[in-house]
Amino acid sequence: MDANRGDLHHKAEELAAALPPLLVAAERVAMTVSQGVHGRRRVGQGETFWQFRRYEPGDSTQRIDWRQSAKSDRVYIRETEWEAAQSVWLWRDASPSMHYQSAAALPSKLGRANLLLLALTVLLVRGGERVAMLGTGVPPSASRAALIRIARGLENGRAAETDDAPSLPGFEPLPRYGRLVLFGDFLSPLDEVRTAVAAFANRGVRGHLIQVFDPAEETLPFAGRVRFDGMEREGEILFGRVETVRERYRGELAAHRSALAEIVRAAGWTGSVHHTDRSPVAALLELYLALSEVWDR
Amino acid sequence: MWSISALSFAAPWVLGALALLPVLWWLLKLTPPLPKRIPFPPIRLLFKLATREETAAKSPLWLLLLRLALATAVILGAAQPILNAEPAFRASGPLIIVVDDGWAAAANWSSRKALLKALIDRAERAERTVVLVTTAPAAPGAQASPLNLLRPADARSVVEALQPKPWKTDRRAAVGEMTGARGLSVAKAGEVAWLSDGLAEGGLGSLLLDLQHLGPVTVYGDPPERLALALLPPVPDGDALRVSAVRAVAFAPLAVGVRAIADDGKAVGRETIQFAADERQAEVRLKLPTELRNRLARIEIEGQDTAASVVLLDERWRRRPVGLVSGGGALGNQPLLSDLYYLERALEPFTEVRRGRIGELLARELAVLILADPGHIDAAEQRTLDKWLRDGGLILRFAGPKLADNPEDPEAASDGLAPLLPVKIRRGDRVIGGTLSWSRPAQLAPFEEGSPFFGLTVPTDVSIRRQVLAQPSLDLAEKTWARLVDGTPLVTAEKRGKGTLVLVHVTANAQWSSLPLSGLFVEMLQRLTALSQGTVTKSGGPPLEPLESVNGFGRLGSPPAGALAIPAEAFDAAVVKPQHPPGFYGTPAARRALNLSAELRELQPLGALPAGIARDVYGKSTELDLRGWLLGFAFLLVIIDLIVSLAIRGLFSLRRYAAAAGVALLAIVLSTPGWAQSGQPRRGMLERGDAFALGASLETNLAYVVTGNPQIDDISRSGLTGLSTVVRRRTAAELGDPVGINPETDELAFFPLIYWPLAEGTATPSAWAAGRLNTYLRNGGTILFDTRDQSGGPGFASLRAFSRALDIPPLVPVPADHVLTRSFYLLQEFPGRWTGGQVWVERSGDRVNDGVSPIIVGGHDWAAAWAMDDAQRPLFPVVPGGERQRELALRFGINLVMYTLTGNYKSDQVHVPEILKRLQR
Repeated sequence: MDANRGDLHHKAEELAAALPPLLVAAERVAMTVSQGVHGRRRVGQGETFWQFRRYEPGDSTQRIDWRQSAKSDRVYIRETEWEAAQSVWLWRDASPSMHYQSAAALPSKLGRANLLLLALTVLLVRGGERVAMLGTGVPPSASRAALIRIARGLENGRAAETDDAPSLPGFEPLPRYGRLVLFGDFLSPLDEVRTAVAAFANRGVRGHLIQVFDPAEETLPFAGRVRFDGMEREGEILFGRVETVRERYRGELAAHRSALAEIVRAAGWTGSVHHTDRSPVAALLELYLALSEVWDR
Repeated sequence: MWSISALSFAAPWVLGALALLPVLWWLLKLTPPLPKRIPFPPIRLLFKLATREETAAKSPLWLLLLRLALATAVILGAAQPILNAEPAFRASGPLIIVVDDGWAAAANWSSRKALLKALIDRAERAERTVVLVTTAPAAPGAQASPLNLLRPADARSVVEALQPKPWKTDRRAAVGEMTGARGLSVAKAGEVAWLSDGLAEGGLGSLLLDLQHLGPVTVYGDPPERLALALLPPVPDGDALRVSAVRAVAFAPLAVGVRAIADDGKAVGRETIQFAADERQAEVRLKLPTELRNRLARIEIEGQDTAASVVLLDERWRRRPVGLVSGGGALGNQPLLSDLYYLERALEPFTEVRRGRIGELLARELAVLILADPGHIDAAEQRTLDKWLRDGGLILRFAGPKLADNPEDPEAASDGLAPLLPVKIRRGDRVIGGTLSWSRPAQLAPFEEGSPFFGLTVPTDVSIRRQVLAQPSLDLAEKTWARLVDGTPLVTAEKRGKGTLVLVHVTANAQWSSLPLSGLFVEMLQRLTALSQGTVTKSGGPPLEPLESVNGFGRLGSPPAGALAIPAEAFDAAVVKPQHPPGFYGTPAARRALNLSAELRELQPLGALPAGIARDVYGKSTELDLRGWLLGFAFLLVIIDLIVSLAIRGLFSLRRYAAAAGVALLAIVLSTPGWAQSGQPRRGMLERGDAFALGASLETNLAYVVTGNPQIDDISRSGLTGLSTVVRRRTAAELGDPVGINPETDELAFFPLIYWPLAEGTATPSAWAAGRLNTYLRNGGTILFDTRDQSGGPGFASLRAFSRALDIPPLVPVPADHVLTRSFYLLQEFPGRWTGGQVWVERSGDRVNDGVSPIIVGGHDWAAAWAMDDAQRPLFPVVPGGERQRELALRFGINLVMYTLTGNYKSDQVHVPEILKRLQR
């Protein structure tokens, strides 16, 4: 008996300790979003009460709500809200370029991607969906344990600082109609991106691409004589006066982004851009609504 | 030395480095600024932009010019450029500098010092040694600077420490030492520069000839408008001071501001001395109100900082000190009845008033001695007085009961001394207009011509009720200075030796007459004081120690270490010398001033110089060393270059730092106290004492002493609250809420009655609090001591301890006809919570405080009987009991409050039948 209690205590401690700070932050973000979003809003399989309906012939007598029926002459049936679980695979880019942050006050791109990913996980788990990280081989699960596992995975991944993490997700045979959400900067050559996306899209997997960008990458706010270094061994380049190429850089970026959008559209996916100096809540809401739309369709 | 027009270079070879500038140009042009490195993820996008890479790999032209200017400034600075350099010395050998550092040198000291430094700089450049000779005697204790060859660097440190001395120069001694047998070892010395103070103190001609043996001599002098002035000690002239100043050269009209400074450093007066064009001495009358004149500590010339531009003033220039002697003392605790109160109030504005015994007062200088009915004066004192009087003192004596009782001192008469009275006085006094007399109080007659009071208007409201009478004699009329309308003398006087003895035939307080209350009294005292001959200086006494000394710049400070005391007899003849610097001597109470300018009746200019001696003035040299300016400019350029290079490399964003500086500035502005606290009300300024006084004085409040025992304090507070309520309800007295006080800290004067519950172990008030309590009792306050134990218990023990600390008069049980028994209700007993004990008051007949007993003592625990809760229900039972006893307790309380508020008013009610009868008539 005592040993049992000790064991329980031990587990509880372990559980509490396992709750990483990232998860706490993610839960906070998710809380904000979930208050603004409601369930599936249609009758179906589920546990949440949806409405009372007049009994009609053919309905199971098992479904009659006797308590409600006793209040009047009619017989009522209790209907619940439809809650169908989906499987969602998540992935984020952990390559060195994601460690970039232009100012100490801003989070790194990877940090923001992790937060968004985990907050989305929280929302999904709360909604009863099954979630898994792409590339880990773990099957999707809707349990809270899965949430904690994912959070730990992200933390460990961050600690490991893998230099050779891929910039794009490797292909993995996912079930048809699975959902995929990818976070990253997608600065790789467009052909590589197209290949990676197409591989999943051909399997009938639908997905969403979130391009996480630092504001400095958007505007190139540097001036003077600057030597730029690539973060993934791309090489280096020297500019005498950076301000002169700023406009052209923006043009290049816009071209890259529209090409990326074309790739996404062709695959029937959706995509969005998020900047690290913006609120994560807005991005999460947008993302969540996009996913809901996918399901509602 | 190498010169281009006005510009010369002390180290011209350094200029060769200018040839390196083109090389520097080339080097700077070659080296591009270092780029900054930035890691950047979207570098693939940047690769596409690199098609036409234009590398601005060279420094901008303006930066190049900036750096070249920097290098040029450093090179030029290192070459030690000098603008308008002085020519080289005429002779070889050491440079002999003779400096006048007496009092007159302080007038233009900064230019003297600048010239000294410039000369030493020149000697350094010419690689000469320096001999520095000062002509004023060194301060005692200070090391006289040895006469030898100095390196210019050492000479410079000697010059830094050089200060003008507050005494005269002694050129003959200084130069004699140099040219004499034990003088300079280098016989044929170099060049001589004499930095004179422009005055011809102690002769010059032969000295200059001696110096000419050493080498060519240049004498530097001041232009006439910068020569030192001397302010002579002022001379009293009636009610003003004649202040005069002297100058050495009468060159043009000159206006000199003179400032009079009081003891506390405040300027109290200002006048301008106007020199006509041909005048070397001028004066002005400095007229000050007597109050201010008595506070004068010094007079100084504005804008002059020499020891002779300041005159220190001591008692010789003050208004007459007046000594007060009173025979009274028993009544000393009631100021309005004191013999000296009106005298002090009348004299203080225009004289210095001292009080004390005759011996003490005469030990110092004194102009007037006032004896206010002193009573018996013993023979020794009388002899002293007599001597002082005959030496020129003025004794003003007031009559009084003691004189009336005992007009002839038998002891003094037996000693053969004349009594200190100008006329013979009849025994007994004369009462005019008293209750047993039909006459009215007498008026003053107008003053006769020949009386010192002649011209004063006699107010009609001055009346004399009592006086002492002079025995008629032949010379009485001529000895009389003032008389009443009936012709009896009021003021009589007699010359004795050089002094005057004056007797006023009434008291100095308002008991016998209303004279001391009138303005005439003040005017008469002013006339009498003016009559005195000033202080009669006493020679002898201990040597006068230096107290404060004037330094070379005319500022007062602590005396230098070597200053010596001056024997008191020799002080008048003392002259300023190093052992006796000018300043104050003596004790702070009786200080004497030794002024340098007292010896300077006249100032002589330098005059003509022997042939072959060059003459120059100070401040002509415009030599300017440019090295510091150039190096400073170079340093500024270095800082600009640093900022610019950082900015080019992007490590330093000008815009961001400007924003940060703005934020810092804003923070500084916001954190200034004026801004931060301007919104806060200044309630904290109202100190607790003021708040207490406001609360206690807006209403009449009863007070109780906080004992520290919460139970007793509660009873006291609720008891007095209950009593105040009842008093409000039944009488016209509107009492506020009672106040708990602590006699150690709180002001007691606001409270008519203080309730003081005593218990075992009540702490006796400290000596300070006891003093405050005694003052309170003396000035009309009343304290009710309650031992709370029906008398005889431990409370009485603490009362006994109190009586040792406080001034408690003899006490008696309340008599049956005491005012306390009928001030509101008619009472015969004073029960409280208990009854049956005695209540004690001051013995009647001691008519202090209008007959109101300052102390009432009992043990009936009245507060407990008065105590009521909010619903006006009594809190404590009375013993033995009954509503009657409580009612009587309250009645006692009301009687007590009425007694303290109205005093003996009710005791006058015995006369009511009489008053009514008079009104009917």
